[in-house]
Amino acid sequence: MSQWTERRPSEDFYRVLAPDGSVEGKPPDLSAEETVDLYRSIVRTRVFEDKALSLQRRGELSIAARSRGEEAVAIGSAAALEPNDWCFPSYRQTGALTHWDAPMDRAVAGLMGTEPETIDEHLPVEDPPAVNFTPTYVPLAVNVTNAVGSAMADRFDDRDTVTLSYIGDGSTSQGDFHEALNFAGVYDAPAVTVIQNNQWAISVPAHQQTASETFARKGEAHGVPAERVDGNDVFAVYEKTKEATERARAGEGPGLIECVTYRMVEHNTADEPSVYRDEKEQEYWAERDPLDRLEAYLREEGHLDEGTIEAIEEEASEDVDGAVRRAREVPTSDPERMFDHHLHTQSWTERHQRAELRAELEGKNPFTDFDGTGLAETDRTRTDGGEKR
Amino acid sequence: MSRTDAAGSSAATSEMNIVTAVNETLGQEMRRDERVRLLGYDVGPIGGVYRATEGLHEEFGPERVIDTPLSENGILGTAVGMAMRGERVVVEIQFMGFFYPAFGQFMYTLTKMYERSGGGLEVPLTIRLPYSGGIKASEYHSESTETYLVHTPGVRVVCPSTPHETKGALAASIRDPDPVIVMEPKSQYREAREPVPEGEYTLSIDDARVVREGNDLTLLTWGAMVPRAGTAAERANADVEIVDLRTLSPLDVETILESVRKTGRCVILHEARRTLGLGAELSALVNEYALDRLHAPVKRATGYDVHMPGHTIEEQYLPDAERAQYAIEAVMNYEF
Repeated sequence: MSQWTERRPSEDFYRVLAPDGSVEGKPPDLSAEETVDLYRSIVRTRVFEDKALSLQRRGELSIAARSRGEEAVAIGSAAALEPNDWCFPSYRQTGALTHWDAPMDRAVAGLMGTEPETIDEHLPVEDPPAVNFTPTYVPLAVNVTNAVGSAMADRFDDRDTVTLSYIGDGSTSQGDFHEALNFAGVYDAPAVTVIQNNQWAISVPAHQQTASETFARKGEAHGVPAERVDGNDVFAVYEKTKEATERARAGEGPGLIECVTYRMVEHNTADEPSVYRDEKEQEYWAERDPLDRLEAYLREEGHLDEGTIEAIEEEASEDVDGAVRRAREVPTSDPERMFDHHLHTQSWTERHQRAELRAELEGKNPFTDFDGTGLAETDRTRTDGGEKR
Repeated sequence: MSRTDAAGSSAATSEMNIVTAVNETLGQEMRRDERVRLLGYDVGPIGGVYRATEGLHEEFGPERVIDTPLSENGILGTAVGMAMRGERVVVEIQFMGFFYPAFGQFMYTLTKMYERSGGGLEVPLTIRLPYSGGIKASEYHSESTETYLVHTPGVRVVCPSTPHETKGALAASIRDPDPVIVMEPKSQYREAREPVPEGEYTLSIDDARVVREGNDLTLLTWGAMVPRAGTAAERANADVEIVDLRTLSPLDVETILESVRKTGRCVILHEARRTLGLGAELSALVNEYALDRLHAPVKRATGYDVHMPGHTIEEQYLPDAERAQYAIEAVMNYEF
């Protein structure tokens, strides 16, 4: 039986900024500039994701998953990383990439379905983010296990880098989550796992996901110290992640942070939330928006005014528009790219199937080989597949 | 195609079985490259359930020979993460039938990372996977389910059949930038003994090898079935050519077709269940690319489409020299 007495998650968590932006706890040791950077990252993420939504509606992207209302989780935690650290994101942490200035044009091209080789060719990375990001994981929870392996490598090789990964409330039900935490605990791996508890795994509410009182408690069974924080308070997320990463960096093992937040929007563009949840819930969470909260604080502190806000929003729009423009210029991938980067050598099967595809694309019959020596009337010498026709 | 491979630089050899060949190779590779780490349960002080890692924990310590919690998916998932960071991880899964919990990581990350990163992230990881029946073991300790592996792109699957082959293939796999699954025929672990070079050497993990030349019929097989194929070939009233596939994925199609197009007949011998066993693919390839040379249909001497039976009747499940001989005889006697 679920121990949750009501659907609304308890506010028994670490919080620095109250929903109205007033200070409840001790703000982290961040300069005014760094704090405004957190604000900027939330704005940029929101602009980027809203643009992705509109591109999807116009048919330029097949699918998009926004993080509106939960940006503070990815941004506050990623801000706690240091250069050379590693991050294994899932698909709702655009903010982590935004905060470390990962190129947005490549992200848009990826959402457009362009093959990675084509993106590398047309939008090469000139200035890589200081934090190492793996490609965004689509399958759930498996990134956490890989992240713990990455952290084990750092521990065994005596490097002081830390690995951060993300998981949703729903995915904590996957075996990989528990396997990962168990290994992290056993090997004192410098791995910090952030649970982005946004209350909904598509249509299944968090209280149906577990009978555990909180998601943070799941760390206890694995010997992983855990914290539960207000995920809409970027300071709280930053502070507790920073504590965990510094502990991990000092060789004191892994950490788990449950960030209590709310998915204000659809799961993705194929979802219709009005079918399964009521609007009152959104009203409750709208009052707890992470951007409004930080803005109120920054205004109060005198770090932000109308002019700065406008400038940040304008810059975000320009950057996102520029990224979309550049992504649109990337040509559709050569279909033969589908064969790239499976193995480092090319087998008979790969050569043969590449030739079949080429024949088909050229309007020729691909089934003319009856002795295994190659297709009739097909160029047999070109087997690298790396060059454009 | 290569029929012979260069042996190592060292001329000195010593008598090894497959287990000692694995043990020698792991030790040599760990001495050669400090990024090589072993991961698995019971690989530590006890030296593995087959003693394939004996002595290595003592020599290299617990951070290179890593006893893990009992979770195949946890082992593979963390090993992939380590490999993404440049470690050369060798995973031991105790039995092929224990690999299934790791199927998530196998599908989602091990075989996909290199492709989905556009070549940016390599996963140079080796999985040692003892397989094969005939050892009178309990449930899930005897199966041959390579079909699940070879249907997936992005991973090599190799299956050496002798101590010499094992040492060269395992060393090549550990040094390879792609994920490689090394299926070890555990029923042959201590059966086959032969002189093996003491020095380092690698063998091709791309090519099949012709282990017996013949002109009447091609017998395609691998791993634990190779000795049985040899016995069947000796007894058969036909000049049988045996091709040991060595590499189950990707297949060395050229060597296979060259042999079948020469002999005009083909029998496939494998331990796995028949339906969609690798024999199905081999038969399809022969039919697509050598039909005009065939004097008879292709036959598959395989296990049956059942779960591996208990050990009192497992020999009746497993193909042996006799079953292979029947197939050879039937194909030789066939007339269109």
